[in-house]
Amino acid sequence: MEKIAIVNGVRTPFVKAWDAFDNIPAQKLGALCVTELLQRAELDSRLVDEVIIGCVGQPSEAANVARVISLLAGLPQETRAYTVSRNCASGFEAVTSAAEKIRCGVEGIVVAGGTESMSNMPMLFSKEAATLFLKLSRAKTFPGKLKIIAQMRPWHFAPTPSLLRGLTDPVCGLNMGQAAEVLAKDFAISREDQDRFALESHLRACGAAEKFREETMDVLVPPAYRVCVRDDSGVRKNQTYEALQKLKPLFERRTGTVTAGNASQVTDGACALLLMGEGKAKELGLEPLGYLRDYVYVGLEPSRMGLGPVFAIEKILKRNSMRLQDIDLFEINEAFAAQVLACLRALACGEFAKKYFPSGIPVGEIPREILNVNGGAISLGHPVGTSGARLVLTCLKEMKRRSLRRGLVTACVGGGQGAALILER
Amino acid sequence: MTAKVRLTEAENIARIEFDHPEKDVNLLDTETLLQLKDILASLRGRVDLSAVLVTSAKPRVFIAGADIREVETFTDRELAFSKSEGAKAILQMIEDLKVPTVAVINGACLGGGFELALACRYRVAGFSDAVRIGLPEIQLGIVPGMGGMLRLPRLLGIIKALPLILTGKMVGAKDALKLGLVDELFPDKTLPEQAAAFARNAPLKRDERPLSFLTRFFEKTSVGRYWVFRSARKRVLTQTRGAYPAPLRAIEILRKTGGLTPVSGSRIESEGFADLVGSEVAQNLIRLYLLNERYKKFPWTDLRLAPEPVLTCGVVGAGVMGGGIAQLLSNRNIAVRVKDIHTEALGGALREAYRLYGESVRRKKMKPFERDRKMSLISTGLTREGLRGCGIILEAVVEDLGVKQKVFRELGAITGPGTILASNTSSLSIHDMAKGTPHPERVIGLHFFNPVNRMPLVEVIPADVTSQETIERTVQFARSLGKTVVVVKDVRGFLVNRILGPYLNEAGYLMAEGISPERLDAAARKFGMPMGPAELLDHVGIDVGCKVAHILEEAYGARMKTAPLLERLVGKGYLGKKVSLGLYRYKGKQAARNPGLDLPKPARVLPEEEVLKRLLSVMVNEASRCLDEKVVAEAGAVDIGMIIGTGFPPFRAGLLRYADHTGLKKIVEDLERFAASVDRERFTVAPLLARLAANGQTFYPS
Repeated sequence: MEKIAIVNGVRTPFVKAWDAFDNIPAQKLGALCVTELLQRAELDSRLVDEVIIGCVGQPSEAANVARVISLLAGLPQETRAYTVSRNCASGFEAVTSAAEKIRCGVEGIVVAGGTESMSNMPMLFSKEAATLFLKLSRAKTFPGKLKIIAQMRPWHFAPTPSLLRGLTDPVCGLNMGQAAEVLAKDFAISREDQDRFALESHLRACGAAEKFREETMDVLVPPAYRVCVRDDSGVRKNQTYEALQKLKPLFERRTGTVTAGNASQVTDGACALLLMGEGKAKELGLEPLGYLRDYVYVGLEPSRMGLGPVFAIEKILKRNSMRLQDIDLFEINEAFAAQVLACLRALACGEFAKKYFPSGIPVGEIPREILNVNGGAISLGHPVGTSGARLVLTCLKEMKRRSLRRGLVTACVGGGQGAALILER
Repeated sequence: MTAKVRLTEAENIARIEFDHPEKDVNLLDTETLLQLKDILASLRGRVDLSAVLVTSAKPRVFIAGADIREVETFTDRELAFSKSEGAKAILQMIEDLKVPTVAVINGACLGGGFELALACRYRVAGFSDAVRIGLPEIQLGIVPGMGGMLRLPRLLGIIKALPLILTGKMVGAKDALKLGLVDELFPDKTLPEQAAAFARNAPLKRDERPLSFLTRFFEKTSVGRYWVFRSARKRVLTQTRGAYPAPLRAIEILRKTGGLTPVSGSRIESEGFADLVGSEVAQNLIRLYLLNERYKKFPWTDLRLAPEPVLTCGVVGAGVMGGGIAQLLSNRNIAVRVKDIHTEALGGALREAYRLYGESVRRKKMKPFERDRKMSLISTGLTREGLRGCGIILEAVVEDLGVKQKVFRELGAITGPGTILASNTSSLSIHDMAKGTPHPERVIGLHFFNPVNRMPLVEVIPADVTSQETIERTVQFARSLGKTVVVVKDVRGFLVNRILGPYLNEAGYLMAEGISPERLDAAARKFGMPMGPAELLDHVGIDVGCKVAHILEEAYGARMKTAPLLERLVGKGYLGKKVSLGLYRYKGKQAARNPGLDLPKPARVLPEEEVLKRLLSVMVNEASRCLDEKVVAEAGAVDIGMIIGTGFPPFRAGLLRYADHTGLKKIVEDLERFAASVDRERFTVAPLLARLAANGQTFYPS
């Protein structure tokens, strides 16, 4: 089977929501990124066959945001484009869909990535309020209108943020933070452990600021273009353990351990990667960053979605007849410190293995030194549709810097799924 | 005599079809009109027909108007009058037919073509974007002379007809329907059939539309009409400063013909047409039109390359100029990569492009989403990434030969044979820039004028080593941006700045002699310049003007010696509009005298005429040197450059046309007089000018 080359990649800096990118909707963030990718790759845009973009909260004004991005980025109208969503693994899904298309010979060159503007998630009215508004607009007579207005109550005008709804599992009823609390209790992960993990994420991201400039682009913020965003804004240079300890639990006031400090941040950002078959890259004289060797998706209990990486890692290693030791570098998406720590424990736990893995053998311990070496979503932020593509890019760039052969990137997925990809150089 | 119009008849419908046998367009010349006359004569009294259609066999063109080359020859008033009367009599035959008549407008329907359509009872058009309807005569300094002045107000009313006649504006199909210029729109594919069906069902007489109360007041009462014409006159006078007689005459004709029929008002229109068409202004505007047409397509090289659109462009050197160029390119859907070494400069370029698009959005010429789409075609970078594959890379870095050579060396090394390397320099030698690069044959000058998006001229400057292919591709590229190209020899100042330089410099000397900026500007404006030399200096920046002056002085010596006043102004920090203080002081949009200027009291009051003569004669003198040195090959190129590059008054048809009109002998005399009384060097008569004047010749072949 032909190897899938990831030739080039670039992302915008990740910026805390409602901040510098507040006025840049997802389609524009994505377009900035795709334009920059094509410029850096110095590829004739007519050669791109398809654009696949992961996005969870698609802007209502840009349905099939991938197509909008493709056209905004100046790709020819003949280039095809579609949007994918697998919640927090949407960025992975874009990459793996691209790989499938290329492998099947359907497309030759694909731009895959993700975009998310969590600043621009709409506010929603309740169904009841919406029904009244609709009736009002259809009422023809003045008394008729008055009658409907009389039925309206103040709470009809209070919107719910779609962001909050999107982060709540409609099947088990838990929001993502509550799901993390479940894991914290299951695996007895203390507040202290979580905060230490979060602090480490910030420290590592701080140290990697220069490295990240190799994968980010400068964004001059419209319409004034006076501010140039160059770095990820979620990373706190002066983060201390004490400060993290002071934060109140967000999801369970009395008994909880998950705080805003040890959870991933709400963030805006986009990422784009250029994928093609190994042969095509050679033909065009392009030197790939690396290759996608394999990928898996798994499903599990929605309320314990945080353990998705555990099952995904177990499955992908087995599929490739590999052991944990065969992987040189790991990225587990930091949705929550509690969730990453729970994954690490579950992977090493014999009891867990007996209960859940067909083989009954634990996968092993992932050394912290090769896991999320440049920090993760807790410090950089987690623009949900983008993170998967960002993990692929960050991991490949780090593998190159360290001259490593194999990397594994994985994420838990809201709704009860997990994803894992093996990257090679 | 080949048939340009033919008559066919089928199913009770007669079809008068225009089909010029040699051209791509239909034009109404005398021959065509006479053929039409015969056809109409044969249809007279035919009541058996259900309708008569007037159609065109040309794709995307109905009738593009009268033949301008013929109109140009109507210099004799009697001839012009009889031509106008004759044409009207023929069109009246259409109106007099006893069956419904329908003009089927499938494309350009302009001037005489539209007047013909107006003589039909009904007009239908296709939805196509090729449909453009209007009476552009006014832009040629004349008024419609085939009854349009009478029939358009009859159809639309004065209030709606006035702006169409006075501006010569062309409207598309949908607007034409809204205005009432056409009665129905049909899909282009089925236009012939649906037009026939429409004609079959059309009543012989049109329904009169009821007028609103206000419209009735303004159109039907003498007080109302007085107001309408008075305000139109006022508007015309502020816009044209009285230099263009045609719109005023048009108002006059409309006023006099109110309530008259095309027959009874015919003479009034014909007289107006005849008076105007022979006038100097109209003749000049027609010449300019033809000149424009010539240079839109002028073959600057012998190569005929298949058009190959440029998809990606690089701009090296951000800032205002870079931003303007990026906007121009992205507006034509070209992806632009802007490179600079400073992030702030990149931001400045994006800001400038966004500002220009913002203007279009504000004037409702563009929707915000279009602006965003075009803006997203501009990307920026601090490195050379993205430049390699560009079709053309424009350099707009600082005017420093060393820096530009370095840029071209680097670009030459990374780009392939498909990339043109163009410099937007206004003063440096393209040859010197090309010399150090690995591929000098791909280096060329491409000089845009500021503001880039609005000035329609570009100078293309090949160096000796530039390949013919590079020249042709660059010309093609510039034309694809909607610009008119003048290919110019690689001399300092190229063409336009070299001629304009002495003019601005002379303004500096005149002011030093005590002529106030206000008087200077008033004189130039009265001549027809869009702004006077003092205003212009403030506008471009006195420091910039001074720098250019020095470059010209260095190249051309004593005759271009920089006016010391300009340097003094720069020394005082009077840099012009950008610092709100130059020859004038600017407060918001107001300009007032700069109190710090302290010009000397003039020894004697120089009459306005003398001031103008000094400003203009140095330009004519320098332009004749340009011709002598083959900077451009012909006088027309100088004139087109000066008109669209500097706003030299269009009604004078150009600098050298003005010189020819004034008389070269007179200009030489003026120059000699100035050489004796003012300065020997600045006013030395150029050899070509002296020779032409001595032989009684002109710049243009007569």
